[in-house]
Amino acid sequence: MPAKRRLCNSRKMDEAIKGVADAIIAEFSRKSEMDFAFIGIQQRGVPFALRLIEKITRKTGFKPQFAMLDTSMYRDDIGMRATLPVIRETDIPFDMNDQAVILTDDVLSSGRTIRAALDAITCYGRPSLIRLAVVVDRGSREFPIRADYAGMNIIPEDGKKILVEFKETDGSDGIYEIDWSNPTKGE
Amino acid sequence: MEVNWTRKDLLSLYDLTPEEIVLILDTAEEFKKVSERNLKKVPALRGKTVVNFFVEPSTRTRVSFELAEQRLSADIINMTASSSSLQKGETLLDTVRNIEALQADLIVMRHSCAGAQNFIAKNISSGVINAGDGAHGHPTQALLDLFTIRQKKGRIAGLNVSIVGDILHSRVARSDIWGLIKLGANVTLAGPSTLVPRDFEQIGARVCHNLKDAMVGADVINLLRIQHERQRAGFFPSTSEYARFFGLNKENAKYLKPDAMIMHPGPINRDVELDSELADGPQSVILEQVTNGLAVRMAVLFLVAGCLKK
Amino acid sequence: MTEKSSYILKGGRVVDPARGIDAVMDIGVSNGRIVDPAKIKNPEIIKVKKLVVAPGFTDLHVHLRQPGNTTAETIATGTMAAAAGGFTGIVAMPNTNPPADSAGTIEYIRRHTELYGVVRVYPSGCMTKEQKGEEMAGIGSLKSAGIVAVSDDGKCIQNHELMRHVVEYSKSFGLPILDHCEDAFLKGEGVMNEGKWSTLLGMRGISSAAEELMVARDIILARMIGWKIHVQHVSAKESVELIRNARKRGIMISAEATPHHISLTDENIKKFDTNYKMNPPLRSEEDRLAVIEGLRDGTITVIATDHAPHTATDKLVEFDYAPFGIVGLETAIPVCLAELYHEKILSMSDFVAKFTVGPAEVLGMDFGTLAEGKPADITIIDTERKFCVDAAKFRSKSRNTPFHGMEFRGKAAATIVGGRFVFDEIGK
Repeated sequence: MPAKRRLCNSRKMDEAIKGVADAIIAEFSRKSEMDFAFIGIQQRGVPFALRLIEKITRKTGFKPQFAMLDTSMYRDDIGMRATLPVIRETDIPFDMNDQAVILTDDVLSSGRTIRAALDAITCYGRPSLIRLAVVVDRGSREFPIRADYAGMNIIPEDGKKILVEFKETDGSDGIYEIDWSNPTKGE
Repeated sequence: MEVNWTRKDLLSLYDLTPEEIVLILDTAEEFKKVSERNLKKVPALRGKTVVNFFVEPSTRTRVSFELAEQRLSADIINMTASSSSLQKGETLLDTVRNIEALQADLIVMRHSCAGAQNFIAKNISSGVINAGDGAHGHPTQALLDLFTIRQKKGRIAGLNVSIVGDILHSRVARSDIWGLIKLGANVTLAGPSTLVPRDFEQIGARVCHNLKDAMVGADVINLLRIQHERQRAGFFPSTSEYARFFGLNKENAKYLKPDAMIMHPGPINRDVELDSELADGPQSVILEQVTNGLAVRMAVLFLVAGCLKK
Repeated sequence: MTEKSSYILKGGRVVDPARGIDAVMDIGVSNGRIVDPAKIKNPEIIKVKKLVVAPGFTDLHVHLRQPGNTTAETIATGTMAAAAGGFTGIVAMPNTNPPADSAGTIEYIRRHTELYGVVRVYPSGCMTKEQKGEEMAGIGSLKSAGIVAVSDDGKCIQNHELMRHVVEYSKSFGLPILDHCEDAFLKGEGVMNEGKWSTLLGMRGISSAAEELMVARDIILARMIGWKIHVQHVSAKESVELIRNARKRGIMISAEATPHHISLTDENIKKFDTNYKMNPPLRSEEDRLAVIEGLRDGTITVIATDHAPHTATDKLVEFDYAPFGIVGLETAIPVCLAELYHEKILSMSDFVAKFTVGPAEVLGMDFGTLAEGKPADITIIDTERKFCVDAAKFRSKSRNTPFHGMEFRGKAAATIVGGRFVFDEIGK
């Protein structure tokens, strides 16, 4: 087990997500009609999207549609990773054509997952616009991709990773810094 | 606990754990959706080279693999025994090493000898997918059968599955038996005693030589193609006698449960092992098997390609 | 090799079943013969303490491949392998190319043995011309040329009437029959034992019945004609039972077992390694145990290797296409010690008998004892020496063994033919 240090508790994480929801509302309420859908990237972009939908619906009465997307088939590193990604469910229940969509993911880092997601989305249709929302932007980009909405910006030290945990997938909410170079005793 | 795929080859279901089999089926669920979209292609195997090496001729399996590879954006080369140097007396291993020297990532191979793919996989670093080896195995056919059963029945454990016909010479039957037993189904094998060896009882299958016994209570009945050459080799007296005692027809179909699924790996000898109307009827899932074969093969190619050490 | 003309093998455990001896004593050798150690003047002393000193081992079943397939083996390499494995004599099977069905071929083998042979080579001759099972070979002329037995090994005469004539005719020349018992139709295109594993693997099986039927036929002919038929490489439980009952009735039937049939089973084939492909095939555990029991109770009097060299090119192919057979000379003693002696199935005396008295009886020859005056053919065994099989170090030209990499306890320490050390690891 790697060393794991908590950066945010669940309250702070919720505030960050609320900030993203407010920013989205602010942008789309300027348009003539509030209409956009969420596409949660598997695995932790999914609970993030559902939290945003819940907050936006409560505040505005508008309930955005929801899809989930797995990007494994679109990655450019098959055979180069230590372990093969498990393909999770993709479910896009609405017509993507001319739809404004907001991609959600937990952490934005290299940008490769987002590139794969953009590839995948174009296989399903031609959205009118695509935005990107993330809980944490941790920098160190390898692709010309940026987040339109980021809950917070954290630049970890070299060799460390950011982990966003959700109650739905991990048992509780929280944001952590993970140090793979200094593993603690464990299984 | 999540299972990780760690094999560079898919040679036999005998080698796989139940969890690995389920992983392939789950992965195939997602690939099936790809074929249901307008744009039926993903870039998962972009830049990978797949060689379809069919030492024994095949049409449907080769087409299914080829389409699966295309939908994964792989580069594809098709080779047969006659288009290879095997004709010139080159050994199989030399032929395959030449393919590997061209930086082929995966070799999808069919061969008339049991274990030919095991022999090759041991000697090369490219991935090897068994597309049928003698009477030994046809793992992707069994996986598509399992996928189809799970899709229709919602589960595999506890189901009564009967396989009828020439079990002795059938690679499909052997792979089905391993897959079904590993996933907890009750397997019954039926057919003439010359073609259904009792040795299968040693691994937990039920053996009977009477079609009715295999039909009553079955949730799934899988009819195998009967080969005419077996009649010539003296395993049964005539195709008509085979059809009379072991063919599924409208008359004996009354022994089947109303919701029993009828499967067949194809190609069908209509009105020999399976009545034509039943083959096209509501209980038949034969064409869905073909559709699912594509998804299962995409999943296998994807998983195996992910484990190649490059 | 050590060159010594007069010496004493001192302090060894002498095991000579022909004379009922199993005791620590000295053996004298002078001018190529066994002599009373007290009568040798100024002998060289060779200490063989803790080693078994036995009469030279003879292998009734060896394929030397010469003439015909000298890429796989030659008389030179085959006899070197025999020496390294502890054998002082071998019976050469006649399925060479051309087959040994004429005096000329036997003459060729004898000449090459004189020039290049390291151990004694006893040629056998074909029962039928070209081993086709159609016309009787010139068995009388072959006898004059020096054969010790007739065999169509690798094949089996299917025509019972012809077989009857061959047995009758051979009897008149005093030549024993070494028969490869196999019904050709039941064998069919089979590549392994028919049973659970062939069923699970989807491989074409060879039923035990293919062997049993011909064993039964041979028992009937041996009884009817009153002549010696030796069943080669018996592999099936029921064959052993048939032979056991026939021998109880005094019928002149004998049998040999191979090291691989007493140590391996058909389950080994699940990895599709062609070094487990042989004919008769490796059978079930039940069969393996029955063959061992046959050795224990004296039904089977001979252990023979069926040493069958094949090149790597020939073996590195699809299982169906690979030739049958494995090399055995250099692994026979280690494998058999493990299965029979260390497992306490056979005493050392009974163990030695399977390689000495047993083969001598089958051939009706008087080798296989350390009695004074006999040629000094001696096999010395270290029963405790650790031995890991490394096929790359074989003297045989071929490496087709399933035992590569396996650890054994015990092996040949020295081989002496006519007083001359042809293999010597004593003290090394």
